[in-house]
Amino acid sequence: MTQRFNVQPLQPHISVLSEEGVKAIHKATLEILEETGVEMQDPQGRELLLEAGARESDGRLKIPEKLVDEALSSAPSLIPIYDRLGNLAMPLELGNVFFGSGSDTNFTFDLMTGERRRTTTQDVENLARLCDGLDNIDFVMSMGNPSDVPPDDLYVHAFIRMIRGSVKPNVYVTKDRKDMEDIYRIAVAVAGGEDALREKPFFLHYAEPISPLLIPEESLQKIIFCAEKGIPACYPPSPNTGGGGPISLAGAVALGNAECLVGLIMSQLTRRGTPFLYGMNTAAMDMKTAIVSYGSPEWSLGMAAWTDLARFYNLPSWGFGGASDSKLVDAQAGLEATFSIMSAFLSRCTLVHDVGYLEFGSTSSAEMLVIADEIIRMTRFLVNGIAINDKTLALDAIARVRPGGGFLADNHTLENWKWAQWTPKVIDRKLYHSWVEAGSKDMFVRANDVAREVLEKHELLPLQGEVEAVIADVLAERADAHQ
Amino acid sequence: MSGVLEQIAGVLYEGDDESVCTLVQKALNEGIKPGQVLRNGLLAGMDQVGVDFRAGDLFVPEVLISARAMHAGMDILRPLLSQSDLASSNKIVIGTVQGDLHDIGKNLVGMMLEGGGFEVIDIGIDLPPEKFVDAIKTEHPDIVGMSAMLTTTMQNMKHTIDALENAGVREEVRVIVGGAPVTKEYADEIGADGYAPDAGSAVELARSLVKQKDG
Ligand code: B12
Repeated sequence: MTQRFNVQPLQPHISVLSEEGVKAIHKATLEILEETGVEMQDPQGRELLLEAGARESDGRLKIPEKLVDEALSSAPSLIPIYDRLGNLAMPLELGNVFFGSGSDTNFTFDLMTGERRRTTTQDVENLARLCDGLDNIDFVMSMGNPSDVPPDDLYVHAFIRMIRGSVKPNVYVTKDRKDMEDIYRIAVAVAGGEDALREKPFFLHYAEPISPLLIPEESLQKIIFCAEKGIPACYPPSPNTGGGGPISLAGAVALGNAECLVGLIMSQLTRRGTPFLYGMNTAAMDMKTAIVSYGSPEWSLGMAAWTDLARFYNLPSWGFGGASDSKLVDAQAGLEATFSIMSAFLSRCTLVHDVGYLEFGSTSSAEMLVIADEIIRMTRFLVNGIAINDKTLALDAIARVRPGGGFLADNHTLENWKWAQWTPKVIDRKLYHSWVEAGSKDMFVRANDVAREVLEKHELLPLQGEVEAVIADVLAERADAHQ
Repeated sequence: MSGVLEQIAGVLYEGDDESVCTLVQKALNEGIKPGQVLRNGLLAGMDQVGVDFRAGDLFVPEVLISARAMHAGMDILRPLLSQSDLASSNKIVIGTVQGDLHDIGKNLVGMMLEGGGFEVIDIGIDLPPEKFVDAIKTEHPDIVGMSAMLTTTMQNMKHTIDALENAGVREEVRVIVGGAPVTKEYADEIGADGYAPDAGSAVELARSLVKQKDG
């Protein structure tokens, strides 16, 4: 039977910069690069840039438009990221949206006692496993800086725990070149060889320049290392409004864009075609407390703006969502997480990190992750839009319904209810008495229940023996170095 | 009881640098000692700013605007202040420890301390312990402030305190520490003299330490 109606859903998305706006910010960015210049502290990066045609004056490197254009044309617009079993998990390209947790929190909420305490290696593994078991979390970040290992080794331990806890791709952080090398060694073992890893990377490295205008040796060396090895990398600057960036968003985005493009240029000068994830962070520095706010609408609005720039450059883009400044999982946390997740999804930012953060990135929470998973699922329902066809219009059901009678028992309902409606999991819609019978649990307690259940029941393929052997070697060498 | 000093404190609170300058000049013309203009005019105004900032009634830019007004007044006073006025201002050396590039929190603490009447020497970021030792030897501060924002660099606060001890300068200064991963317990553990969680309380902390020292 041919369809009389068949209209694809619109799948709503937002843009916040007009074409003119995008061009204006791009132009301002070029002016920052060519006229103001950046301070490049890395000698190798300096050499690369000067050779490529940048010039040096007043201690700054001034970068011509030509270098920007060349980098933009050689950077891939699709970065395929795999899980650690070799299945394509996240094709990072414009239009797709992937969500994941955040890294490096000092504290976490203990799932059993509710206590806010310093994170451990076991927490990192547990939170990774929780991410693995949540359908709307696509990638893993550490959600903690483990305090039970020597600080110099913490990023290597965090990486190991992430891959033990999850098969999903991860975004990892390192302290220095030694970390990069050790983690690379482990990753090569996971993928089964250097070529296999280059072909099917299951991770992405996260380092940052320093806004305003400073490219430190430490982080640029990481970009160069990644480019050499073919590891996908991002280099998001943090022109936080009033802190690392101007107080006004247009300037913050232009500045961040300039700094991020320097990262892009460096990655492409090191090796053309290197996968590089564009983007930045534009949190507001709160003018009363001076904290950098992870619930600020400035960050979300800025993200929509640089994702518009990403579309102009045809590059996938890095972003943030699902985080809060609240000290606990409360209404504020839910509100801020919903706001940023919806903004991220609607603006189609490609890789959205920091889901599950509380206290502006100081504390991680399993419950917050579970709730955010629900928010993402709910937002996906909105973003999927409305398909208009014979089935969804239900004209036959409308024709046969008794006026005033309702559709509950109609075949159309009985056949389509499962996909046509969104079904809550953690959100409560019980009648009062059954809510009381079920223990009068608020959202936090229900999320805690879900998190415990996932940790108890969720299973995944453990790392292979050879990988564990390489891990043991790496850790033994590190332990020796401490002697 | 001098009305003009109260007026100075008032316009300084409002951040009106032109009026601060006019009134400072007026006070001097009236024969009030520069040291008194500083203490009972400018610093009294900044004290109120500090109190209200800590209470959450003022925003950071308002504090910085007041601090700017104070600097304007100081520019007039500085050449006139006596040696003893100058010597009585306390000095603090502040910096971010080795391996750590975070700057903003440390800068804000420095600005607030300056507003609180301290002479602040900011020695930068990513500082190996020797830099702190050198700064003590050349600047002779009352207080040394260390900032660390990373779990990996927090341990360098301990290394720096060790280095101060080895260089024999630890007893010359009070050491205060701060930054996101740092806690009071950690500060005690590494033998620092004080910890403050934010810029407002850093000023209070520094004041209480120099009072102990002077007293
Ligand atoms: C801005 C920022 C950056 C900027 C810094 C720019 C600059 N010029 O300073 C950039 C982008 C460079 C950066 C880099 C990195 N960062 Co950073 N960064 C932040 C962020 C978002 C805000 C920090 C800030 O400026 N706050 C505003 C100021 C005013 O507050 P504050 O620094 O806390 O300072 C106050 C108090 O702590 C106290 N205080 C501070 N110092 C002192 C000193 C004394 C003596 C006293 C008494 C008090 C005191 O008073 C201050 C004023 O109230 C925080 C997260 C957050 N929301 O806090 C992460 C954060 C600190 N960074 C983090 C990380 C992991 C990194 C990187 C490793 C990331 C990466 N993948 O490369 C790199 C490390 C680079 C390096 N080697 O230092 C983690 C640290 C986790 C940890 N425990 O180790 C945090 C917590 C974010 C997170 N959860 O992931 N970062």
